[in-house]
Amino acid sequence: MSMDGKDTKAPRSQGDRGDAENQEVGSQEVGSQEVGSQEVGSQEVGSQEVGSQEVGSQEVGSQEVGEFEPKIIGFLCNWCSYTGADLAGTSRIQYPPNIRVIKVMCSGRVNPQFVMKAFQEGADGVLVSGCHPGDCHYIEGNFHTRRKLTMLRDQLEFMGIEAERFQISWVSASEGIKFAEVVSNFTDRLRDLGPQTQLVKRGGAR
Amino acid sequence: MAINRDAMQTEIREVARKWIEAGEVRFVLGWEKSPNSDLSRPIFASSADDASRLVWNGLCTGNLTRYLVDELRKKPKRGEEPDCRPIGIVVKPCDSKALVELTKEKQIPEGSIKVIGVTCEGQLDPSRPEPGNDAYAKADKCSVCHNHNPLMADVVIGDEVAETSKLEDDDFSDVKGLEEMTTKERWEFWKRQSERCVRCYACRDACPMCYCVECIFDREKPYRWNDKTVDVPENVFYHVIRGLHLAGRCIDCGECERACPMDIPIRKINRYLMKRAYQRFGVKPGQDPEDESMFGSFDMNDPQEEIW
Repeated sequence: MSMDGKDTKAPRSQGDRGDAENQEVGSQEVGSQEVGSQEVGSQEVGSQEVGSQEVGSQEVGSQEVGEFEPKIIGFLCNWCSYTGADLAGTSRIQYPPNIRVIKVMCSGRVNPQFVMKAFQEGADGVLVSGCHPGDCHYIEGNFHTRRKLTMLRDQLEFMGIEAERFQISWVSASEGIKFAEVVSNFTDRLRDLGPQTQLVKRGGAR
Repeated sequence: MAINRDAMQTEIREVARKWIEAGEVRFVLGWEKSPNSDLSRPIFASSADDASRLVWNGLCTGNLTRYLVDELRKKPKRGEEPDCRPIGIVVKPCDSKALVELTKEKQIPEGSIKVIGVTCEGQLDPSRPEPGNDAYAKADKCSVCHNHNPLMADVVIGDEVAETSKLEDDDFSDVKGLEEMTTKERWEFWKRQSERCVRCYACRDACPMCYCVECIFDREKPYRWNDKTVDVPENVFYHVIRGLHLAGRCIDCGECERACPMDIPIRKINRYLMKRAYQRFGVKPGQDPEDESMFGSFDMNDPQEEIW
């Protein structure tokens, strides 16, 4: 995570500073916060695209397609998906470098808190990938993943965070090509959605 | 109201007095009249005198199973003999669902409780005074209630009430409004609510299913998942994870929303997850202690349309 933390800081620093100022300016009233953020957003539009992306995600998303590189945190299971990703690498299959991989022993290890935390730390999307159902090294881990994380997906959508930002996939150790496809599809989708600003903490990534 | 609450109240007092005088129970958990308002408050009745203070009316809103788990967990003081007698408790049908769910999760050892179940036609909402017989409007949770008769009781008091609906036919119209919004509108809604949340954890503390000895939100080591900062990201984190921890277990007793000092519609989250849990996995919380828990079990054919 720490590597990713550094990574996230670089392109976001401008926007974060802008954000922090807004918060100070409009801290007395909830309403004025929003007004404040719009003002700062418009000031920065000329000078810094990254800053304006941060502040007004919806309008900017369409303008800056191509400029915006989504950050994806990928939780890959040790036995299938991580090996699958490895295979994609050794087979020299091209896929976007937007994914930062965290290896877990089983997709069932992924606690919904991990996903929420990744969003808080500035991830634009989170991918959880494990063995196909029935292939789990621990026999039933991914069946539990399926129940737990599909409910999380519903919950995110209900809370107004686009469910498309959270992807679950089954990639076996032999599916290097599928892994590359999953990552590139997911990256494309996140590019369309624009940056995730809802859950990012005020001070930006720690 | 068709139910004669006064007659039921007399009967509750009678049963409780008998149990206490015979020494069959440690005490009886029930409601008594609050000294300075219409509301009812919990009472741990351990004498015949206490038993005569028990009440049953439309404002017995509290879910007493919350106290039960804590009491069952208490260790005797040093040098004291443990009191192994069961605890008596008065439950409404919705509270009895909590008993079922707690039994399912092995929180209530066999023979450790004696239950007085009362039938119920709905409780009142003390925050909404209304002219009329009861002086208050019917509580929201009671208009979508599926159980009007206690599911788990040694003694049932009151006439059986006809069940009007089942979880199977529930249309969840109370969350429909939010579901029909766009994602952006929903975010605006929950953002507004999260801005108001002061994270007092009253919703957790009032919840009969939140019985963890150490709650994840209190945990500092080895890693503090949820910072103490009261801002939107942290509050949304709290509500998402709290909701998920109750998914498939929440019995919709409405205590979280009643306890909330900021009137955040917490039940909407619970109701939505209840709906999805039923649609996806056919989970019916609080109906049968033999059922398996949602996240503790799985089916080979669970739906997975959104998984690539």
